[in-house]
Amino acid sequence: MAETLTPYITIREVERELARLRDASTEPGQPPRLRTSVMTHIAWVPERWVEAATGTLAGLAERHPSRTIVLFPRPDDPEDRLDGDVDLRCFVRGGEEHEVCSEVIVLRLCGRRASAPASVVTPLLVSDLPVFLRWRGPLPFGLPELEGLAAVADRLVVDSSEWPDPRDGLARLPGLFERTAVSDIAWARLDRWRRGAAALWPEIAGASRVRVAGPESDALLLVSWLRARLGRDLELDLEPAGEIELVEVDGRAAAPSRAEPKTASDLLSDQLEDFGRDRIYEEAVRNFSSAAT
Amino acid sequence: MTQLAEPNPLLEGLRVRRRAEPCALTIFGASGDLTQRKLFPAIYALAFRNLLPEQFAVVGVARTKMTADEFRARMQEAVRKHCRDDFRSEVWDELAAGIRYVCADLVDEQEDREVIEVLNEVDETRGTAGNRVYYLAVPPSAIEPIVVQMGPHRTTGGWTRVIIEKPFGHDLDSAQRLNEVIRAYFDESEIFRIDHYLGKETVQNMLVLRFGNGIFEPIWNRQFIDHVQITVAESLGIEGRASFYEQLGAIRDIVQNHLLQLVALTAMEPPIDFTSESVRNEKVKVLRALHTPGPKHVVRGQYGPGFIEGEEVPGYREEDGVAPDSTTDTYVAAKVYVDNWRWADTPFYIRTGKRLPRRETTIAIQFKSAPHPPFEVDRDDGLRPNVLLVHIQPDEGVSLAIGAKVPGQGMTIRTVHMDFLYGGAFRGGLPEAYERLILDCLLGDATLFTRADEVEEQWAIVDAMVAPWRRDRPHFPNYPAGTWGPGSADDLLHRDGRSWRRH
Repeated sequence: MAETLTPYITIREVERELARLRDASTEPGQPPRLRTSVMTHIAWVPERWVEAATGTLAGLAERHPSRTIVLFPRPDDPEDRLDGDVDLRCFVRGGEEHEVCSEVIVLRLCGRRASAPASVVTPLLVSDLPVFLRWRGPLPFGLPELEGLAAVADRLVVDSSEWPDPRDGLARLPGLFERTAVSDIAWARLDRWRRGAAALWPEIAGASRVRVAGPESDALLLVSWLRARLGRDLELDLEPAGEIELVEVDGRAAAPSRAEPKTASDLLSDQLEDFGRDRIYEEAVRNFSSAAT
Repeated sequence: MTQLAEPNPLLEGLRVRRRAEPCALTIFGASGDLTQRKLFPAIYALAFRNLLPEQFAVVGVARTKMTADEFRARMQEAVRKHCRDDFRSEVWDELAAGIRYVCADLVDEQEDREVIEVLNEVDETRGTAGNRVYYLAVPPSAIEPIVVQMGPHRTTGGWTRVIIEKPFGHDLDSAQRLNEVIRAYFDESEIFRIDHYLGKETVQNMLVLRFGNGIFEPIWNRQFIDHVQITVAESLGIEGRASFYEQLGAIRDIVQNHLLQLVALTAMEPPIDFTSESVRNEKVKVLRALHTPGPKHVVRGQYGPGFIEGEEVPGYREEDGVAPDSTTDTYVAAKVYVDNWRWADTPFYIRTGKRLPRRETTIAIQFKSAPHPPFEVDRDDGLRPNVLLVHIQPDEGVSLAIGAKVPGQGMTIRTVHMDFLYGGAFRGGLPEAYERLILDCLLGDATLFTRADEVEEQWAIVDAMVAPWRRDRPHFPNYPAGTWGPGSADDLLHRDGRSWRRH
C-alpha cells in the first residue's frame, strides 16, 4: 500500500484525481455509479502499525462506504513533503445494475508535514458527514497532530491494548471526552466478559476482588467499570495474558457470553456504526483516571 | 449580408447555435495575469467549439512594449498552459490571424488614435463590421481614463459594448461616480459588469434547481427553512497581490460581489422569464430588502501564521508588501436578514476568508427539524435536520442530506447523502465561467452581468457594514491560517443556538 505512492503530491492534485476517477467510473449508457459515503474515515498509522492497519482496512470499505484517508506519518524523514495515491474501490450491490464506490486516499506525511495533519485532511473531508479517526498506537497527548485531528473528528477510535503504557494513557484520556466521542476497541472486546460479569449480579454487589487473566489494558478497563458501576473499590489481581482468559469476581468465574470472537475488521466496523458518546465507557475511564491521580 | 425575408426552411430541425455577429474584441490590460490565465484560454475554448463569429479579431492593448508577434507567442503559451482543451494549431492559427497588439498607456490622444486605427484596419481586413467590445481588464483606477479616452470614438457602423472587471469602485460614491462616467458614453444596455461567479454552471443551476423543479419552491421560505449558510472559503493567501488586497480586504474582494450575488440568487423571487431585465429586477429586490447587519452581526478577521496542507504559512502581516500593523480584513462573517414576506426572521449567515482550511464555495439550506420524530433514538446524533447543499466549487453539484435507517435490528438513524455531481451526470467538461461570459457579451445578453443599480445596492450594504470599523482598532491577527476564522464568528451562530457547518 505504501510503496506505490506518487511523491510530492499536493492536495489540489488529490482533489483533481478524485474528480477524474469519478468521471472515468461512469460508462456511457450506464447509470452513474453511486458515490455512497456515510462518513470520512481517517486512519493515523505510524510506521510500526502499517501491516496491521492494511489488513484491517482491507474489506472494510464494502461494509462502510466512505471516503477513507490513510495517513502514514514519517516525521523523521529529512524532506518535508507529501506522497500520495488515490483509488476508487467499487463493489457490486443489489445486482449488476448498481455499483457502489468508495474512495481511498493514502498520504505519507514526511518531515514537518507530519506535524499538522488536520490541515492536510480538512480539504478532503466529505461535506457534512461524520468523521471517524482511527488512531493506531499510543496517543501523543498535548501534541498538535493529535489535538488537531481530534478537533476535526466526531469520533476517535483507539485500541488501548496497543498502548505500551495503558495506565498513563487511560489516566489522560478523559481530557479528550469533551472534545470528541471516544471508543476503544479493547472495550469492545470486553463486551462478552461484561455480559458474563453482569450475569453474576446481585451476588457480586458487595464484591471486593477481581482476578483477571488477560492484557493489562483490558483488565484495567474491566475493574474500573466494576468500580464505577458497583460504586465500591475492588482490588485487581492481574495475570498477564495475550487476551482475556479468565475473569473472577470474588472467586466467582464470569462466563463470557457465547459470541464468535471477532476479527480486527469486525471490531473496527462495529465502532464505525456508533455515533454517540459511550457514557459507560467514559465513566469507567474517568473512574480509573481519578483513582490514578 | 443579405437579410432573408422568410425564415430559412432548410434550417428547420437543425440545431443552430446562437452565433455572435462579427466583432473586434479589444482587451485593455492585455499583458496582465487575467488575460493570460482566463481571457485568452476562454477565447481559444470558444474558437475550439466554433462559437466565435467567423469575422473576429482581438486587439490587445497594454503598456508592455512588445510586437504583435511577441504578443501572439505569449498568448499561445498561455492557451497551452491554461486552457482545458487540447492545443490545435489550425484553431489557433485562425484565431492568431486576427490578433493585433498596441502598446499604449491611453493617456494621450496619439495613443488612442493608434488603437482606433488598428480597429479600423481589422474592420477592413477581418470584416468585423465596426462592432466593438472593449474589455477593461485593468485596475480600478485605470477604468475611468480609458472610458474617457475611448468613449467618444464610437464607430458609426456597428454596436459597442464595454466589459468591466470587478471591483467596480471601492464604495458607493466611487461606484456611482464610475457609473456616471461610463454612462456619459455608453448606454446601460452596452455595459457589462463582470462578476465571474455568475458565469459558473452551478450558480446558474441554482436558478434551474429552484425554478425548474416543482418540489423545492413550495418549501423555499421561512416556514420550512431554518437558516441559510453561504461560505466562500479560500485556502490560498494573497499570492503576492498585497498592494491590491490591502486596499480591498475580504469585504470588498468577495462580500460586495460574489457573496451578495449568492444571497440574491438564493433568496430571489421567481423571475417571469430568463431575460436580463427580469432576472436582475428580482435580484435587486433582494438586495433592497437586505437588512443592513449591525456591528454585532458582523465579524472581521485577519489570519496569523498557521498550517495549510501540513505546510507552515506566514500570517497576513508577514506577507510581502503588507504593512506590519495592517488592519485589512482577510475574513468576514455576517448575519443578514432579507426583510420580505418570504424570508422574514430567517437568518442568512455568510462568511468568506483567505487561508481557511479548504477551498470551497457552498450554499447550505438547512431545513427545520422534523416536528415530532416518533422514533426512540438512542444515539445523540440520530436525527439531524435536512440540508440541501449546493456546491459551487471545487466539486460542482448538489447534495441532499437525509436521515435513513441503518439496516438491522433497532432504530438507528444515520445521515446519508443523495449526491448529484456534475462530473457524474453529464459528460463533457464544464465550461469556464469566462467562456460563458465573453460569449454572452458578444451576443449582447447581459443576464449574467451586474446592473448599475445592483452594484450600487451592493456597495450601500458594504458601506454600512464597514462604517463602524473606522471607529475601533481590531485585535489582529485573530485566527491562525488553516482554521475556520475567529472564535467570534462561531459565537455569532452559537448565540442563536446554531453552528457553522464544520466541513
